Amino acid sequence: MCARVYIYRCTGCTYNSTILTEKRMEPLMITLSFLSLLFFLCILYEIASQTRDRCCYLLHYECHKPSNDRKISTKFCGEIIMRNKNLGLQEHQFLLRAIVNSGIGEDTYGPRNIIEGRENSSILRDGILEMDEFFIQTLDQLFQKTSVSPQDIDVLVVNVALLAPIPSLTSRIINRYKMRHDIKTFNLTGMGCSASLISINLVENFFKSKKNAFAVVVTSESIAPNWYSGKDKSMILTNCLFRSGGCSILLTNNRAFKDRAKMRLNCLVRTHLGASDEAHTCCMQKEDDQGTLGFFLGKNLPKVATRAFAKNIAKLAPKVMPLTELIRYAALKFLKRAAILNLKAGIDHFCLHPGGTAVIEEIRKGLGLTENDVEPSRMTLHRFGNTSASSLWYVLGYMEAKKRLRKRDKVWMISFGSGFKCNSCVWEVVRDLADGNVWEETIAGYPLKTTANPYMQQYGWIYQEKSESYTGEEPKNRSV
Amino acid sequence: MPPSYWCGLLLQKRNSTFPAKRKPKQIMAPKLQDFSLSVKLKYVKLGYQYLVDNLLAFFLIPIIIALFLESLRLSPEEIIQFWDSMHLTSLHIICSLFLIIYTATFFFMSRPRTVYLIDYALFKPPQSLRVSFAGFMEHAHILLHDEPKSVDFQMRILERSGIGEETSFPPAMCFIPPAPTMRRSREEAELIIFSCMDSLFQKTGMRPRDIDILIVNCSLFSPTPSLTAMVINKYKMRSNIKSFNLSGMGCSAGLISIDLAKDLLQQHPNSNAVVISTEILTPNCYLGKERAMLLPNCLFRMGGAAVLLSNRWSERRRAKYVLSHVVRTHKGADDKSYNCIQQEEDSEGHVGIKLNKDLMAIAGEALKSNITTIGPLVLPASEQILFAFSLLRRKLFNPKLKPYIPDFKQAFEHFCIHAGGRAVIDELQKNLQLTAEQVEASRMTLHRFGNTSSSSLWYELSYIESKGRMRKGDRVWQIGFGSGFKCNSAVWKCNRDIITPVEGPWADCIDRYPVHIPEVVKL
Repeated sequence: MCARVYIYRCTGCTYNSTILTEKRMEPLMITLSFLSLLFFLCILYEIASQTRDRCCYLLHYECHKPSNDRKISTKFCGEIIMRNKNLGLQEHQFLLRAIVNSGIGEDTYGPRNIIEGRENSSILRDGILEMDEFFIQTLDQLFQKTSVSPQDIDVLVVNVALLAPIPSLTSRIINRYKMRHDIKTFNLTGMGCSASLISINLVENFFKSKKNAFAVVVTSESIAPNWYSGKDKSMILTNCLFRSGGCSILLTNNRAFKDRAKMRLNCLVRTHLGASDEAHTCCMQKEDDQGTLGFFLGKNLPKVATRAFAKNIAKLAPKVMPLTELIRYAALKFLKRAAILNLKAGIDHFCLHPGGTAVIEEIRKGLGLTENDVEPSRMTLHRFGNTSASSLWYVLGYMEAKKRLRKRDKVWMISFGSGFKCNSCVWEVVRDLADGNVWEETIAGYPLKTTANPYMQQYGWIYQEKSESYTGEEPKNRSV
Repeated sequence: MPPSYWCGLLLQKRNSTFPAKRKPKQIMAPKLQDFSLSVKLKYVKLGYQYLVDNLLAFFLIPIIIALFLESLRLSPEEIIQFWDSMHLTSLHIICSLFLIIYTATFFFMSRPRTVYLIDYALFKPPQSLRVSFAGFMEHAHILLHDEPKSVDFQMRILERSGIGEETSFPPAMCFIPPAPTMRRSREEAELIIFSCMDSLFQKTGMRPRDIDILIVNCSLFSPTPSLTAMVINKYKMRSNIKSFNLSGMGCSAGLISIDLAKDLLQQHPNSNAVVISTEILTPNCYLGKERAMLLPNCLFRMGGAAVLLSNRWSERRRAKYVLSHVVRTHKGADDKSYNCIQQEEDSEGHVGIKLNKDLMAIAGEALKSNITTIGPLVLPASEQILFAFSLLRRKLFNPKLKPYIPDFKQAFEHFCIHAGGRAVIDELQKNLQLTAEQVEASRMTLHRFGNTSSSSLWYELSYIESKGRMRKGDRVWQIGFGSGFKCNSAVWKCNRDIITPVEGPWADCIDRYPVHIPEVVKL
């Protein structure tokens, strides 16, 4: 104040007496510094407020639990496989091994047309019906539990890789829930089992430019129209592994919902190995030699997955690992010693895509995780099977139902997809979570001591059969 | 004849409301009075438009001139005396300077990143895939020999479609019967997409490794791995590329992809995005006899486009266009709109796309909704005021009064209307009161390439460029419709004069266009 008063006293001087004395310079410099500081503080505030409003909060997610009449037990699975007259003894033996080793239990779900025996003659209606049941159950519950109205939704992203009807599934949802006309919709297809993280990436990007928005991500897979009726071994596997399921997720960047949110997105990394021909062709939809359409899984799939995985971790680790761990790892590498990055230093829970027992086991060994760490993925595989893109959310649901998720815990979600992609993201838990969700009725029975399959006992006779006398049916004089 | 008669004639001709073929002598005597009245109104309207659109200029110019004249009158000493009398200290000056810096910085920080369209490449089908009317009808006769009524129906559609004889079908659809396998669908996709991408890289000099964002939209074909993965594999793109594969979103999906690319470019500085819009026909050839489902067979043709977008400052000189706005409207909440385009199985189990009879009306409604949002963003102030008055009048006084349709010709120089079919273009021309020249690009694209779905807007833009009509500062409005029911529009501003000849699919035939397309082409 004194400086300013002093300056005003001097305003009588004209520009002809322009020699500024030291005394006049001082208040001027102070004002100059003050204004510059104010300027930079304003810029920082602007940047900070923009960053705050960009946070992606997960408000709620609702996994799909189909009705009990859609359960597929191993016995029923066996019957469906035996119905396929294209398959011979060798294929049945191969499938038996695959099913026994798959780690899938007795309570997984399939689409109605397969249960009714129409797996080879599915119509468009079957695929849409499977999606409708999923939308109606999960979205109704999602809106009801969060008290968010469908008219508040600004972005809708649907990812179902193997079904793309006209009009799109996004339009179907908009029609059912009468959403706004200025909603932004995106219908992603063909992006494989890692598509739900791609959808989250899309929403995360949208949240950075629009404030106080709500987004719904609907992720699932269409099993009904995609049953493989041929006999190529590399293609029948998908029949055994994939099951019906889906998840609807509500996200927001509105900070007023911060306390009600379950988790906050920390970072998301996408890796695409499509440039490599080997990676690109290791899993693809194509016709077999007889012209039957199916999903081919190559023998080099685990190797490709490992490469993609390593590349993804290399990008993700610097963003989530504490500095001490990174320095330790870098130092060991520099000294050319064997070094494994201790992911547990920065991550508390591991949400691994339950692609199959072999996949989970490989990842467990590769990352040095314990049985407890991979338990959610194994149990999800047992209870719900491989539900493709939505399986990560069932794994998350298991962790929540087991009350493992505590405030400030970090959850790492990782998934693989055709192309070949490996996408992963890290969520930070905002508050202690204890919602039973889709696991509510069964969580008490988990974890299981063993996930061994009774199929082997029941169908073990198949290994005694000779191909000439094989009829596809159990011999009546089988000794027990 | 009084001068007002000639003025009226001239003005009416320019606005193309003067009916063709009417002889002036016949209407001279009784219409004189009407003409003089309408001439006065036209001048008033023109005057009003100039005044309101340039209001700021009208205010400031006299003030600036007055100040300039005043400063000329004063001598330099008087000016310095005047400056001194304001008693400005260094403090005042520094504060004002900082205020300007603050305002400028926050203004630039809050502005969205500019999205430049560097260039785009279109697919030109080889001559061997050409489908003439005769060839099409021969195939129709052979495939549906038991259904003469369906064959007749297809012929009638073709006669009135506005499509020419140089459109193309993919190889698989030329077989008898068509062979819609996954392998052939992939071949068609590779043919279209790779040829567009090669052309785009060659035109722009961009390397595949420089692409940060890749979006592919193809409604009717979504293999696994996706078409984006196929492109990444072919061109060995980077592993941290952001790819999105959109499907099932109809003929307006191209603009949805542009919107997504725009959003992504806001968050990723110094990035390039490629948007590929195409429609793969092979897996969707309808093999049944249901008439409403045979329509797409008659109208859809092969086509594709690859567009390179960027937000790099260094591209601002060579970019062709700058993206101004993208507006998306979804009428899915209304059951009638949702059901007007449906993919379903007919009684024999063949899958096809059924188009409802009220498609045009629904398209009109969706367009109205879209215009309501885009109007305030693009219309000059004069039109907005008139529209607001008309709205108030209808609300307060008489709802039955005809609504004022804003004159979009004031806001845009060029129009690219999705070449969905002749009826769509006619309807839009009527609704928006456009001239024949303004819809020429759409009609000629429909004639030369057929309905290529989401890529048709780019063929139309290329037509306008090839005709040498695109000048710097011109604004283009692209409108697309899609199943669901969606109406999306994008507004581009031309960044530099585009000089003919323009490389592209029109290069060898632009001199033949425009052609006259009769109502019915007798087959």
